[in-house]
Amino acid sequence: MSVGPQPDATEGIPGSALPGPFPVGSYAAQLRRRLREFARVQLVGEVWGFRSSGGARVYFELRDAYGAMPCSMWRNEFEQLGVSLADGLRVVVGGGCDFYPGSANASPSFSFDVSELRIAGEGDLLVQLERLRRRLAADGLFEPQKRLIRPALPRTIGVVTGERGKARDDVLAGLRRRGWAGRLVWAFAPVQDRHAAPRIAAALRELAAIEEVEVVIVARGGGSLADLFAFCDEALCRTVALLRVPVISSVGHHTDRTLIDDVAAVACSTPTHAAEAAVPVDVTEARRATTVHAKRLHTHARRAVLTRARELAQLSRAPAEHVARNRRRLHQLLRELRASARRKAFDGRELAGVHLLVLSRGAARAQSSDTPRRRTELERLALALAAHDPERTLERGYALVEDKAGDPLTSAESARDAVRLTVRFHDGRVPAQVTEL
Amino acid sequence: MSADDRTYESAVARVEEIIRRLDSGDAGLRETLELVREGRELVEYCAAELDAVSRGLEELRLEELVARLESGGGEPVK
Repeated sequence: MSVGPQPDATEGIPGSALPGPFPVGSYAAQLRRRLREFARVQLVGEVWGFRSSGGARVYFELRDAYGAMPCSMWRNEFEQLGVSLADGLRVVVGGGCDFYPGSANASPSFSFDVSELRIAGEGDLLVQLERLRRRLAADGLFEPQKRLIRPALPRTIGVVTGERGKARDDVLAGLRRRGWAGRLVWAFAPVQDRHAAPRIAAALRELAAIEEVEVVIVARGGGSLADLFAFCDEALCRTVALLRVPVISSVGHHTDRTLIDDVAAVACSTPTHAAEAAVPVDVTEARRATTVHAKRLHTHARRAVLTRARELAQLSRAPAEHVARNRRRLHQLLRELRASARRKAFDGRELAGVHLLVLSRGAARAQSSDTPRRRTELERLALALAAHDPERTLERGYALVEDKAGDPLTSAESARDAVRLTVRFHDGRVPAQVTEL
Repeated sequence: MSADDRTYESAVARVEEIIRRLDSGDAGLRETLELVREGRELVEYCAAELDAVSRGLEELRLEELVARLESGGGEPVK
């Protein structure tokens, strides 16, 4: 140290070759000056132990496999970045060495004074996430929650979320939309930083230990992947996978996919949807449907009895109606029969009239003008008949020879055979005998 | 379906099945009355389940519920 601290008046160590003794405060101030002369650089590593105790500065360590560096940053500069630092988050910091020399009442401390910081890149986080996702999948931890039976109407729902986050209101809005008004158990936990994952896991275990809790919602609003990284914690994911109650996750926005979404029974894009998934039945609608079902059952019961009662009443009236129906039928037939009889009598009279007319006409014809002609004809026929009458021939002097029986003999031979003959004149018969053959 | 393993979903499904059967008109008087009796019982169960989640939202913090359970019950903390 060419321009170093001035030695104290105190006597040094006898025999020592080292200069001094120097007052420690002067040495510390000199050390700070020298450390600040170190080149300002960028460092890359993983964040551990981030703490923000309310003072002017925030503190964390930056680590990698080969070493670590305590880091600090002005709080206002850190908050202007709008990021949050969780354990394991890979970051790049820019700054230089610094040393707080302490005082009579304060301890000194060395730190890398960070003036710039950025998350090392979501690409790196995604690689890390994918590696863990494959490991959880290989262990079969995506399935157990999916196999759990989710009640349609849970009476008690557990919710793990940040106490002051918007997610809380969204969950309530979702439950209201379902018309659900049961018991809600809030388990508030940090949802972002290195404390978040173990606290969330502890809250889940406690909720699951309560028998009344039938389903649990884990909700957090949107953020960067680094913000949501607590929900990719391996221990938390293993806890969720093996819980006895179904877990419905809603972490970040629909574009984010954390590992808790993979192991949960259901993953939803918003806390409102998660609440609706926790109560699959729309209570208001279900109440209306139940009323309709009750009315329909009542109607069926009433109709079943009334219809059959009517049928029985109808059956009891059937014999009387049957008789009445047949009586009506008989009366009808009788009327038809009478009508038919009247029709027949009329028709008979009509026919008789026709016959009478025909006969009258025949009689009239008989008395008509051709009567003389018929009489002349008859006389002519009588004359012709008289001309052929044997009696007339006998009157003219002829005689008829007959045998004993009175049959005429028309040949000499038959006369000879008969021997005894009768000769018939017009005025009588004379017996005769053949004397010579 | 016994009363023990009955759930809201299974009850609703059975009621709908019963109503479909009754609507078909194929059920005789005895079956109709049996189905109506079973249906009414299931409807009462469903109504009770809906009532249980309609009594008004009760919000508890986990630690309050745990304390209440550890003390052996008591009135819920709103």
